[in-house]
Amino acid sequence: MMPRSTRFVNVCASISGSYAARSAVLGASLSVLFLACGGAAVPPQELLDARTAYAEAAKGPAADLAPAQLDTAKVSLETAQHNFDEDGPNQATKDLAYVAQRKAEIAAAEGAREKAERKRAAADKDFKSAQIEGLQKTKEQLAAEKTARVDAEKKAAAAMSSLAEIAKVKEESRGVVITLSGSVLFATNQSSLLAIAKDKLDQVASALQGQGFKTIVVQGYTDSRGNAADNERLSLKRAQSVRDHLVSKGLPSEKVTAEGLGASKPVADNGTADGRAENRRVEIVVTPDK
Amino acid sequence: MKIRTWVYSCILGTIWSACGGAPVPHETLTAAQADVKGAEVGGATENPKAALHLKLAKDQIALAEKQISDGDNEEAKRTLIRAQADAELAMALAKEVKAQSDASEASEQVGKLHKELNK
Repeated sequence: MMPRSTRFVNVCASISGSYAARSAVLGASLSVLFLACGGAAVPPQELLDARTAYAEAAKGPAADLAPAQLDTAKVSLETAQHNFDEDGPNQATKDLAYVAQRKAEIAAAEGAREKAERKRAAADKDFKSAQIEGLQKTKEQLAAEKTARVDAEKKAAAAMSSLAEIAKVKEESRGVVITLSGSVLFATNQSSLLAIAKDKLDQVASALQGQGFKTIVVQGYTDSRGNAADNERLSLKRAQSVRDHLVSKGLPSEKVTAEGLGASKPVADNGTADGRAENRRVEIVVTPDK
Repeated sequence: MKIRTWVYSCILGTIWSACGGAPVPHETLTAAQADVKGAEVGGATENPKAALHLKLAKDQIALAEKQISDGDNEEAKRTLIRAQADAELAMALAKEVKAQSDASEASEQVGKLHKELNK
């Protein structure tokens, strides 16, 4: 066993002997320290993620619509960055960066939410104005329909009054009876319509088209001269000519029929020329819709 | 010998106060738990991304509770701050998703109405 004092001296000697080695170690550890503290240190993943998240959020709607939250995220990121600059990638830096990343994502979400809420508010407003527009449109449609109906009624009334100029129009229990003089429609003993008669019948047809009716019966009549069978045949042929012409102008064929009634039901004295002329006639009997 | 004992006790004392000296972070724990509740009520479970952050928050609260029982109060507080950030994010995401779906529903309604009107 060496005395205590000798052992101490030996240790000192060995320390002083390895002075060169010692300074090398010191240098190395200093440079490690420098690396850890200086800008050359590698930032932790959390800080990189936080930076990316903030950059994303700042590009999005949060910049305009959630500026307060975006600022909170910015401060949070700066705190993490500052901690990293001062102390390197330690646990505190990682924690701060973790929070900073989420603050940035919150800002982005708030911005997107605000944007969606504005879109929704605009859509609601649009919906309301469209509803009002719809109501307006319906009103206008109803008004237009009413105007059209009034116009149609006026037209029909005008047609009926113009009809009165060319024919006798009477309202009887069997319906509206339009009486046309035979001499206006046909040549003697003929059943084909005169050209002028066609014009008049066209007016009759257009007047009738404007009105609702259940049936139209075209009745042909003659005066009492000649034999009854010939008279009936002629009156039927004439009635059919008129009926066919009306149908050719658009009146529904299934509702318009023809009858030949010969000399029956005279409306004037067959003893005079005027009376006979009045009896040679075609009556159009319109049965109203209701 | 006496001096060495004094030094040891000093060192031990310093270590003890460093680890156990921080108080239990009751307030942060309560706040984090409240944020999780809020996110759950706010519909965070219905959206995958929100649900992920809700889960992270819950996991970290559980970890913090373990750290508290182990006496790592400072560590627990840091874990809870992370948990809070996740819970807040879950809530924000849930709100965003709801706003988005409300908005698209509203525009769909408007589209339908316009189509109806232009018939």
